[in-house]
Order: sequence, then C-alpha cells, then structure tokens
Amino acid sequence: MTTESCDVLVVGGGPAGLAAAVSAHDSGAKVLLIEREARLGGILKQCIHDGFGLHRFGEQLSGPEYAERFEDELYKRKIEYRTLTFVTKIEKKENGRFTVHTVGRNGVSVLDTKSLILATGCRERTAKQVFIHGTRPAGVFTAGTAQHFTNILGLMPAKKCVILGSGDIGLIMARRLTLEGAQVLGVYEAKPTPSGLTRNLHQCLYDFDIPLHLSHTVTRVFGVDRLEAVEISNVDEKMTPIPGTETIVKCDALILSVGLIPENELAESIGVKLDPRTKGPVCDGQCMTSIDGVFSCGNALHVNDLVDYVSQNAEQAGKSAAEYSNKERKFVGINPGDDLLYAVPQRLNINADNGKTDLYFRVKNDENNCVLHILCGGKEILKKKYAFMRPPEMENLTIDFNSCNLNENSKIELRLERLGKGDGVK
Amino acid sequence: MNISSINKKLKKSFGGKFSALEQNGSVFVRGESSDWGEIVSACQTAAKKFSKTHVVNDILYTGKAPEPMRIPSVKDDSLDGKAPDVLIIGGGISGASIARELTKWKLDVLLVDKEPDLALQASGRNDGEVHPGIDLGKGSLKHKYIRRANRMYSDVCRELDVPFKRVGQYVLFRSSALKPLIYLYAFWRKKHDGIEDTKIISGKELLKREPNLNPETKFAMYSPSAGCVCPYGLTIAYAENAVQNGAQVSLNTAVLSMDVSSHNILSVKTNRGVIFPKLVINAAGVFAEDIASMADDRFFSIHPRRGTNSILDQKAGAYMHSIASVKDLHIHGKNHSKGGGILHTVHDNLLIGPDAVETAEKENTQTNAESIKTVFDKQTQTMPELSKRDIITYFTGVRAPTFEEDFILEPGRNTKNLIHVAGIQSPGLTTAPAVAVDIARLAVDMLGKSNTIEKNNNYNPIRKGIPVLREMDDETREKMIEKNPDYGEIICRCEQISKGEILDALKSPICVPTIDGIKKRVRPGMGRCQGGFCSPLVTKIIADFLSVPLYEVRKSSAESVINFGETKKNEGGDEA
Amino acid sequence: MTKELVCIVCPRSCRMTVSADGNETVVTGNSCKRGKDFAVREMTDPRRTVCTTVKTSFSYAPVLPVRVSAPIPKNRIFDLMREINKITVSKKIGRNDIVVKNILNLGVDLISTSNVLKHENN
Repeated sequence: MTTESCDVLVVGGGPAGLAAAVSAHDSGAKVLLIEREARLGGILKQCIHDGFGLHRFGEQLSGPEYAERFEDELYKRKIEYRTLTFVTKIEKKENGRFTVHTVGRNGVSVLDTKSLILATGCRERTAKQVFIHGTRPAGVFTAGTAQHFTNILGLMPAKKCVILGSGDIGLIMARRLTLEGAQVLGVYEAKPTPSGLTRNLHQCLYDFDIPLHLSHTVTRVFGVDRLEAVEISNVDEKMTPIPGTETIVKCDALILSVGLIPENELAESIGVKLDPRTKGPVCDGQCMTSIDGVFSCGNALHVNDLVDYVSQNAEQAGKSAAEYSNKERKFVGINPGDDLLYAVPQRLNINADNGKTDLYFRVKNDENNCVLHILCGGKEILKKKYAFMRPPEMENLTIDFNSCNLNENSKIELRLERLGKGDGVK
Repeated sequence: MNISSINKKLKKSFGGKFSALEQNGSVFVRGESSDWGEIVSACQTAAKKFSKTHVVNDILYTGKAPEPMRIPSVKDDSLDGKAPDVLIIGGGISGASIARELTKWKLDVLLVDKEPDLALQASGRNDGEVHPGIDLGKGSLKHKYIRRANRMYSDVCRELDVPFKRVGQYVLFRSSALKPLIYLYAFWRKKHDGIEDTKIISGKELLKREPNLNPETKFAMYSPSAGCVCPYGLTIAYAENAVQNGAQVSLNTAVLSMDVSSHNILSVKTNRGVIFPKLVINAAGVFAEDIASMADDRFFSIHPRRGTNSILDQKAGAYMHSIASVKDLHIHGKNHSKGGGILHTVHDNLLIGPDAVETAEKENTQTNAESIKTVFDKQTQTMPELSKRDIITYFTGVRAPTFEEDFILEPGRNTKNLIHVAGIQSPGLTTAPAVAVDIARLAVDMLGKSNTIEKNNNYNPIRKGIPVLREMDDETREKMIEKNPDYGEIICRCEQISKGEILDALKSPICVPTIDGIKKRVRPGMGRCQGGFCSPLVTKIIADFLSVPLYEVRKSSAESVINFGETKKNEGGDEA
Repeated sequence: MTKELVCIVCPRSCRMTVSADGNETVVTGNSCKRGKDFAVREMTDPRRTVCTTVKTSFSYAPVLPVRVSAPIPKNRIFDLMREINKITVSKKIGRNDIVVKNILNLGVDLISTSNVLKHENN
C-alpha cells in the first residue's frame, strides 16, 4: 500500500475536475487528480455533437474536442493524474487534512491532502425513479447509456424508439439515432414546457420532423424479452397521468432523459450538507462546502446546461482549494426568492474576497420581459433586464459583493420583477 | 368436511354456479366463471386449511385467457437420451437445495429450468426473510419444518458462503389493550407450537433499538431468530455446490410433455431432447400443477398470487436494521401472506412489501402503481420516515400456493416415480434447507427399492463464493489486487464491483453470461444508477470473455437483445 | 415573406423574424451578427454541421468521433451519413486530423474530433 501527500486532491477527471486541477496547479498547488474511468474527459467523451465552448473559446467544439483541450493543459503542466482509480473512503483528520483511500489496478493507496475538490458529476434518473411500470425488457435505456452504446461502442440500441423527457441529452440522442438510421417516433415530455435548450429543439427535432408531445408521459412498458410497446398517458398540471387517456405506441426502445442528479455520495459520507433544491452541496463564493477544505464544482455542485460554466466554476474551485487555509468562515445567505428555482452559491463567506463572485441561477417557470434585482441589505446592487428566461437555461452573473461591505447581518436577496407588455426591454 | 357439505356451502355462496366432486381422494370443483376472484373464492370455500385432501380447480375460466407458459426459443438435443437417476424440474430454491442434498449420494442428478437463470421466478422475487415461525401453529408442513430449518440457516449459509444476518423481527402493536392477548399468543406458540424464541418487548425498548419505527408503538413481539438472506444468491449457491459435487444443471430447458405408462414416468420431453429419468422431482413452482398433470398425477391446484416489493437506496438502509411490520387487530385475517413489512437486506437496502393479489397469470410479473401505493401506505405506519423518493427499483413475484395453503411434500399419488415439492410459498425459502434434506432422503429410499444407493464420499459441502472486495479492509484488498489486478478495476461505481469479481462470475460453476446473470451474481447494476453507467462496460467484459461481438450480449434470454448490431454496417449489413 | 426562426448558433437560442422583401432581407430579434448571417442563410441555403462517428479497426475504440469542417447543405445530411458509414479508419489518427478530404465534393473535410485512438492502453 502506498501513502502519498498533495495539496489539492481532485476527485473526477471530467470537465470540472480537469479545469479545477489546472487552475489549482496554476495557483501554486501540488495537485493529484483521481479518475475512476479508463480515460479522462468524463461524460464529454461520448458527447460527440458540437456546441461546446462557444463562451470560452468562441468556437463550436464537440465534447471530445472540448475535454481534450483541457486534458492537453493537464499534460502540458505534468499534473499528476490516475485513471481507473476509485475513491473508496475519505476521512477528515484532526489536523484538518484529509485521508483519501483509493483502489486501482496497482492496489490500494492512501493519500493525504490539504484540500479536496469533489468533481464527481451527476447521474441520470432511471425508469423506476419516474415510476414507469410493467415488465422488465431489454430496450429501456437512459439517454446517457444509449449514447455510450452508440458513440463509444458503435452499437445500435434502437431501431424504432420513443424518447421520454425533452432534456438536452434526450434531444441530442433523437438526432443521433436518426442520423444512424433509427426511427424516432416522438419525444414525450410530462411538463407543459420543453426541458432542453430551444436551439436543440430546432436542430435535433424539428430539422428531422420528430414530433414533441408536451404534457404526456410514459406510464407502462410492454414486452418480456425486448421492449415491444409503451403506454403513453396525458398528464394534468401536477404531472399526474390522467386515467382514460392511455394510448399504446409500438416501439423497440424507450430512451429516458428525465433529469440528472448530482452524485454526492462521497460528499455525504464526510458530512457535507446538501441543498435540497440543487441536490448538490451548499457552498460559498469560493465553492467551499459546509466542510472546511472540501470544495465542489461542476455538475456535482448543481446540474449545468453549458460546460463552459462548468469550467468557469471549476477554475474558481481549483484556485480556492489551492489558496485554502484553515481560516474561520462567517456566512451570509443568498436568498433566491420565490421565482428562482435556486441560486449558487447559496451563501457568501464574509471573511473572503467576494469581489468577483460568479452567481448561477435558474427561474422556476418561463418568464418574459422581467428584471432581476439583486439586493444587499435592502439596497440594490445590480439589476438586469431579461427579454425571456427559461428554467432549462441557466443564467450567470459576475457580481462584486465587496462593494457592499458585507457583514453577518447583510441580507442578500434575488428578486424578479415582471414588467408588463411593451415596457421596452431590449 | 364431506362432499355434500362442500356442495351446500358452494350453493349458498355462489348459487348453482359451482359444484364439487370427490375423485381419487381430491375435491374437484367444477363450473364456469369469467371472474378469477370468484373461482379462487369457490375453491377456497371447498378447501380445508392444511388438509391433505386437496382441492383441484376444474372451473372453466372464461375471462381473458392467460398467456401460455413461456418456452425458451432454444432447440437442440443436448439432453437427448440422458437417463439420470433423478430429474429435478425447477431451479428455484426447492429444486436447487434438493439437487445439492442429493449429491451426498452417488446419484446422477439433472436439474432443468426453463428460464435463462436460476431463481428467476418466486425464489428470486421475494423479500428474503428467514422466518421465525411465530405465525405458524401445529398441523401444517410449514410448521413442521420452520424451526428446524431456521436453525439450519447459520450452518448452511456458512457452508455455501452466502451472506445471512439474523437481524430479528419486530411486530409492532399500537394498542396497549392488545398486550394480554398477544402475551398469551406468544406463550401459546412457545409452549404448544415450539416457537421458542419470541418475546414481548415494550415500545420504549423497541424505539431504543430502532428509533425510526412508529413512535406510537406500545409494545412489540420480537423474534431474534428471524433473519435475512439473498434469496437468489442462496439458490445459485445451492445449485453451484450441487454442480461442484457432480450434478448437472441445464437452463433454458422446458419440460413439454411426459410419457407415462402403468403409473410410471417413462420419459420426459424437453426442448433439448427426451430424458429418461428413474425418478422425477416436481419443484416447478407456479407450474407444479401443470407438471403433475403431465405426469398423470394432478391431485392439487395452484392459485397464483402476486406480490410486489420495492427496493430502497442504501441511504434509507440506515433508517432501520431489522425486519418490522405493524399489526392491528386481525391477526388471523383472510390474508394468507404475512402482510408484508420492512426488511433491511443483507446488502443494506430496505425492502418494502409485499402485497398479495390473486391472479390467473402465472408468469405476469408486471408491476403497477397501485401495488406500490398499497404497500407504502401500509408500511409508513411501520416507519413514518419511509419515502417513495428513496425507491431505486421494484419487482413483482408470483407465489404458488395450494388452496389448502400448505406445502405438498410427498410421492405421487397415482404415479410412482415422482415426488412433489409443490405449493411452496412463504415461508418456503426458510424451510428449504430442511425440506431438501428430507426430500433427498425420500428420493434415496424410493430409488433404493431397486438398487443400493451408496454415499458419495467425495461430497464437499463447502462452496466458495466470489470475493466481495468492497467489504474488505485495505490490507486484504491490497493483497487480492496484487494477485489479480482486475480486482482493482471498479466497473460498477454504485456497488463498487470490480472487473475481477465480474470475471469470477463468468468463470463460476453455472456461468450465465448475460447482464442479468452477472447482476444476480455480483451486483453490478443493482445500485442507484440501475446499471446506467456500468451496463456498457459489463457488456464489453462479457463479449471479450465469450469472444463474441458486443451486440451478441443479451440482457437475459436469447431474445432480450440489447443492441441490434453496429451503427456502421459497412461490412455487408442488411441496410444500405 | 416573413418567417419565424430560432437561432441555433449559440445556446442563447434567439427568436428571430426574417422578412424577405424583394432583394432586401430584414432580420429582427437577433443578438449578434452571426445570428443575422444564420437567418439570411437559413432562408436561402440552410446548412448544418454534422457530427457522427466512423468505424475503426481497433477493438479498444471501435468508433472514432468525427465532424465536418464546416456546415453542409441540410438536404445532403443523409448522403453524407451513407458516405461516412463506408469508411473504416485503420491509422491511429488524432484530433483535427483529416479523415476524408472534400467529402462528397461538398467542399468540406471530414475531421477527427478525438485523440481516442492514441490511448491504446485502455
């Protein structure tokens, strides 16, 4: 068994982990990155479509291209990393440092680190988690699993399929399978509005005449060996299936894009507090979780729709983890108000530099023509007009909170003001 | 109960719709109905609990005809002409345990099952409780075996290297008024029925042990000998040990018909050839009546009863560590199943259920929302914390009770070279180790009438299971990985299963190289992502092991295609 | 003629209106020049970037991700897919390497988007 020491240990070699490792290294830390899969790149390895990196590089990159650019940065800096290595246990020691146990083909390692970045990504909700009933045939896949089979292994998981959920991966897979010769009968979405980016609806569905059925869901699957059909039901406002509206659609595959859940089992094992709204850790402007020295970033922190934001957020985490010292933190909360689904970070550490705080948030429902006000102690520090805001599209603002002299009694609030028609939002 | 009083009762309850007739020592109920519930209830009216005089359901069901028995698509002659001493039909817990016990003798044992793996029906679709027997009184075979079998569990599971935990069972009562009654009940069970370990504990004591159970509990009946086991794990282990000791197991093998002459089974036709066994053991679960019928020995009926269980995330497993259920007044209700409960499994999940619903469909394991709701509504009274959000999966099994609600463990009544192990339902998993010993003994006695049966001196009761790396300390794990680096490569992140463990499963005595076969043996895909991440990786490991293209890997049966081929058909595919 | 469009150039997904009146095309609702260009082109010569995979002769990476170097006419997408499906890559090419030059005479190259073939040790 080997024992080693580093300043920053990054768990996860996807886009978040890669950016965090590079950023921590550039801030002077000795970094070690641990990845459980055989190759770095995380989920981007299988996201072969383009559209990544427009904010960051001004280019439309495919997933592998985006990830490999960061991998190249890692190699250039000779940052140490281990693939096919799995973290089994994390312990916080009395001196404030962490012991991380890993297994890999070379055996068990016990690593000692000053700080820890959890960039563990997210996982997909499954058929059973959306209460699909019936048999258990082959042919029911999450979109990510179907994508792995198609794009990494070159296999055809479907010939005639139904997609449940209009999340981006579902839309992307609709186009992908169509290109490979499968027939996509339709995309069904329980919500009254689509879950994916608008441009994906257009370039993935409408371009190929794939119908989108809102307020519909799959309630049952049929077929003993391989999927033979699905039962579709209309749903009411509460997304509950309406009895009597069932129709049967014959198909050989059901692909699910019904939501992503941040993977925080490791975080929870050391007592990191989670935000029930994001299902990721509660963090401050430095991406530090409720446990001193433990940082979170990327989709483990909250599910992002653009990888560009993941990289940005992970770089913050990397820098903060490198600069981490066991200084006392004092917090003020950020209240996302009634109209926002959530805001990240959930709080600020008033003892830290909050001069350039990246704030990420989503609205609960579609909004048109509105103004977002950010208030600190009742005083407006920023306002921004939006022609429209949609829950699938995360918003990001960089805010200088140093200017408002934060103290423990400061209240930070986000408030959405809806303007009437014709109030002239550009 | 004589036949005329049965007919009187039938007439009273159902008008002239059904009638009973005594024939060869059984009660045949006749008539016609499109309502399955009514048919079951007519046969129940004619039946006497635990009686050896069985009710045979000859009522014509005119409702939606149930699907015929599913037959595997494979057709070959791999078993053609075989003449085993014993042919066991059914690879559930009964068949597998009997196979293993029979290998203690020098016998040629062949076990067949129509499914692509062992324990795919009731034996793999139950909650895995090892029952203490507190609900059983003298007079039934269930009672005869329960205590003896329960005590055997520690040894059997040690020999077979199967995880088993005596976690104890609590039956919760919310009314203090019931306490004297339950006290007497437990006392009677102990003194009269030999259920020796049950005691009454206070609500306070219960909540000290299991703080998340219903705080309104006034007292509880506690049975420390209750435990949990992985039911399909135990079945597979029994079958593997049987194979190691010389038995043969043939999966995807369905019995189609039998040639019976002068009260003897001469041959058994399967999809893999005709078999000529000396003795047949009918352990066919819900199809036991069909097998009996083929063997010209139908003297009982099975009425299938569905039950649905939900499996909760290991995070919920931390809420409680034993087996618990809440009980209200009706201890001897009409419900023949234990009424369900919450069980902390050997893999640290919580299992919630099951319910009990009569069905005409023997193989319909489709789940439905109502079952989940019924079970949750009931069990939130046992543990208010219970949340549907922790559900990672759910499954339905079909039990195989007789109308007498007891086991049938006896030689054929009309056919001589036949033993029935039928009507096996809860607590059939618990009783299996003891029943298997007795059935093997009976088989040896029956075969011994014509030949002398010698002991198998090479019999080895020890089966080594596949190592579970995630449960090892760092030092042991290090040593294992040093010997085999595949043990260090994690494939299933939720359950921490290594490539080495998956390869061990592929090299195990009964290799089932499918996604489900591997999942049952070493658990990749059993966790919260339900195989989303690992199924492509497991597919690759299986394909590499078998040296077949990736698209030939199946989920379970030969028809359960996962991928239809390659995306790039540039090597002469079927489409341009 | 007036048409409603959603811009697919970037995730902003601007909703645009294009009116073509004789020689003049007027675009509203766009947030940038690229959006305007997209809208104009969408009216006359709609194009898309195609990303897919090609077969390789390496078992550790049976397919290689590829894309076209510039958008191609929308109505040629399936022609392109058929052509791509005939290819097998047998050299360990890397990211940005050309798989097929001027594929189908569309004036664009098919390029590799990953270094996956260079990672044999997995």
